Amino acid sequence: MSATDPTEVFRQEASELFEVLEGALLDLGLRPDDRELVDSAFRALHTIKGSGAMFGFDKVASFTHEFETAFDRVRKGEIKPTQELISVALAAKDYIRALIEDPQSTDDIIGEAILDDLKRFVSSDQPVVPVAEIAEAPPVAPAESKQAGWHLYLEFESHILRNGSNPLDLLEDLCKLGPCFVVPITDGIPFLDEMEPEDCYLKWDVKLHAACDKDAIDDVFMFVQDEMKLTLSPLQEVEAPAPVPLFQLHDEEPAPVAEMPAPVAAAAAAPVVAQPIASAEAKSEPKSDPKSDPKPDAAPVRREEAKQDRGIATVRVQAERLDELMDRVGELVIAQARLTQLASAGSDLSIKMIAEEIERLASSLRDTTMGARMVPIGSLFGRFRRLVHDLSRDLSKPVEFVTSGEDTELDKTMIECLADPLVHLIRNAIDHGIEDTAARAANGKTEQGRIELAAVHSGAQVLVTVKDNGGGLNTARIRAKAEEQGLIAAGAVLTDHEIHQFLFHPGFSTAQTISALSGRGVGMDVVKRTIENMRGSIDLSTRPGQGTTVTLRLPLTLAIIEGLLIRVGEGRYIIPLSAVEECVELTAEDERSRGRNFLNVRGNLVPFLRLREIMSSSGSPDRHQKTIIISTGETRVGLVADQIIGNHQTVIKSLSKLHSDVTIFSGATILGDGTAALILDVAQLVTLAQSKVEKQHISEAA
Amino acid sequence: MALNPTEPKWSLRLPADCSIAAIRSVYDLIREAFGRQERLEIDCSSVDKADVTSIQLLLSTARTGEAQGRPVVLTSFSQSLRNTLRRAGFASEAMIDQHFPQKKDGT
Repeated sequence: MSATDPTEVFRQEASELFEVLEGALLDLGLRPDDRELVDSAFRALHTIKGSGAMFGFDKVASFTHEFETAFDRVRKGEIKPTQELISVALAAKDYIRALIEDPQSTDDIIGEAILDDLKRFVSSDQPVVPVAEIAEAPPVAPAESKQAGWHLYLEFESHILRNGSNPLDLLEDLCKLGPCFVVPITDGIPFLDEMEPEDCYLKWDVKLHAACDKDAIDDVFMFVQDEMKLTLSPLQEVEAPAPVPLFQLHDEEPAPVAEMPAPVAAAAAAPVVAQPIASAEAKSEPKSDPKSDPKPDAAPVRREEAKQDRGIATVRVQAERLDELMDRVGELVIAQARLTQLASAGSDLSIKMIAEEIERLASSLRDTTMGARMVPIGSLFGRFRRLVHDLSRDLSKPVEFVTSGEDTELDKTMIECLADPLVHLIRNAIDHGIEDTAARAANGKTEQGRIELAAVHSGAQVLVTVKDNGGGLNTARIRAKAEEQGLIAAGAVLTDHEIHQFLFHPGFSTAQTISALSGRGVGMDVVKRTIENMRGSIDLSTRPGQGTTVTLRLPLTLAIIEGLLIRVGEGRYIIPLSAVEECVELTAEDERSRGRNFLNVRGNLVPFLRLREIMSSSGSPDRHQKTIIISTGETRVGLVADQIIGNHQTVIKSLSKLHSDVTIFSGATILGDGTAALILDVAQLVTLAQSKVEKQHISEAA
Repeated sequence: MALNPTEPKWSLRLPADCSIAAIRSVYDLIREAFGRQERLEIDCSSVDKADVTSIQLLLSTARTGEAQGRPVVLTSFSQSLRNTLRRAGFASEAMIDQHFPQKKDGT
């Protein structure tokens, strides 16, 4: 790990932080009152600033600092985050991202303009309240407490410096609250040999002689509160009677009231209790010495435990290592297949047992490895919220964006491949699907359109749907366009579903004008191809006036599949088991209908392909031909093979570039005996069968 | 560099950047110096960027030297280092003296 470029690590971390920031800002647009969102946005900003400075991104640090300052009034709750403000904040976020990812493409002028906008928004609605207000936090009423200040004990987590946080800055901020007496505690400093120079070992004991609010202190530490132990106890005047609030605290502490490890949260309530327990005061006195008070530690300890749990829960691993692991498991599965074959050929029982044991282990290792590569699809969904937000603003179509099934897990490579297709689909949905506000109102619909993005497990597949409640597809127009482009003969009888398939035709677009967003006719065909390359399928359904749903069916993984091993002539082939519906024998009756190539499956006519013909196999066919019925979505096709050998754990090896023009195979695999078998591309075969059927139709009609 | 165990002291000048970004190399530098010399003198006059990590490293160096009975002397603190020390709460000369073995005259 030490070989990785720290700047690269920063970039990665920053890009995660940007997602957090963006999510928080967008949520803030919906729930402007949510303090937690403001805080999480601020924390992300602050970390970007800190680590940016640490890795030499000075521009990032200074811009982020300005951004932070401008946004500060939102944090203090002085102004509400309006939609405009959030748009500007998002622009600022994009600018910071550009500064990090491609500094050449940015211009200081843009940055300044964004900051100006930001400042204008945050200062427009009311005169600027002096920022010093916090610093000169109102003194606690003397009647409530004789408190003269605070005693703080600061202990940071060891990694805090690496995050770019600087305890010295915090101490300085603390000093701004009032006269401060800072004592560094050097006990924790190890000898050189045991030292990690970037870790934080120093602790501080601070006496703050200012009667400021606890909130003011919390504010100083708000960005690091998760990463430190802050023990706060009120500092008493020497002459003052023993402090009651601390006694109170012993009762209150077990209930985790405050977010911050701040044991004095009950200070305001204390005086009420003060009288009844006055007699107990003598007893409580020794405990209330701020230095020896054991209780305030309780909350931080709990916090730390919680953190540790979180720490163990996930480990960050480089993606390529997982790929490597998957490759190795793939090799193992192949080797295991060979072992099994050898064992079954011999008669040694103990070898057979071991082979079985290894088979079991290999298959569970395969499942675990695949599981480790699974990523919740939510990380992908998050990106589209911004897209919808921007598009809905640009097109002035208010759109509500709803996601569900974020927890659904998919192989990480699939998630990456899915991003572009989904962008197309969501764009289409907003641009073409959702009508403009006037049209919606005229149709008695809500002004706000709605786009739902959902993911759900369905057997060995994941279904991702993009659903809009717009006008639906205009079947007549698609048909007209298809006729115009010569894709179908005028007046040909086609179902609506068949007509909709033309949308996936390259270069097909019904948009009358080409907008910046869509209408160029590249899109749906690319989407379809991408999805099919993932061995998935895409399906459209629409209801006029009510909306369109696009469904993507995706396999769980790309690397290993369960396959059905078949033999055609001398060659062996794999059919992905997920596509196989059933296997039937080709009856003599079916055999006779040679010209028509239709199979009667319980009353339904299913077209079939003779694989022997497609593969141009030599020799004579087996006497009893088998038919494997495969399906993609609703379409079923039979494949006629010589023999069905059985199921096979298939490690997919992609075909080389030389074979890129081969369409009916999607890859290859190595069998137990070391020979190769080709994997049939189900989607292509179905299309092939359909086109044959269509040709037959046309020749019959002619 | 030739190792000469009879050399009575070794002066190590800290680089200008002793902040967290560069502290690892400073750490290696000091450990290396520790490995070869009985007596170690660390010249802090060029330190321009300092932070918590620089302070910790110097504290640990002093402590390690003390524990191993090997004299470590820090000389000529730069203004920047002094500032950082002050900010970290080593506010008075007395306090600095307490934690850091110094030789004020620099010889």
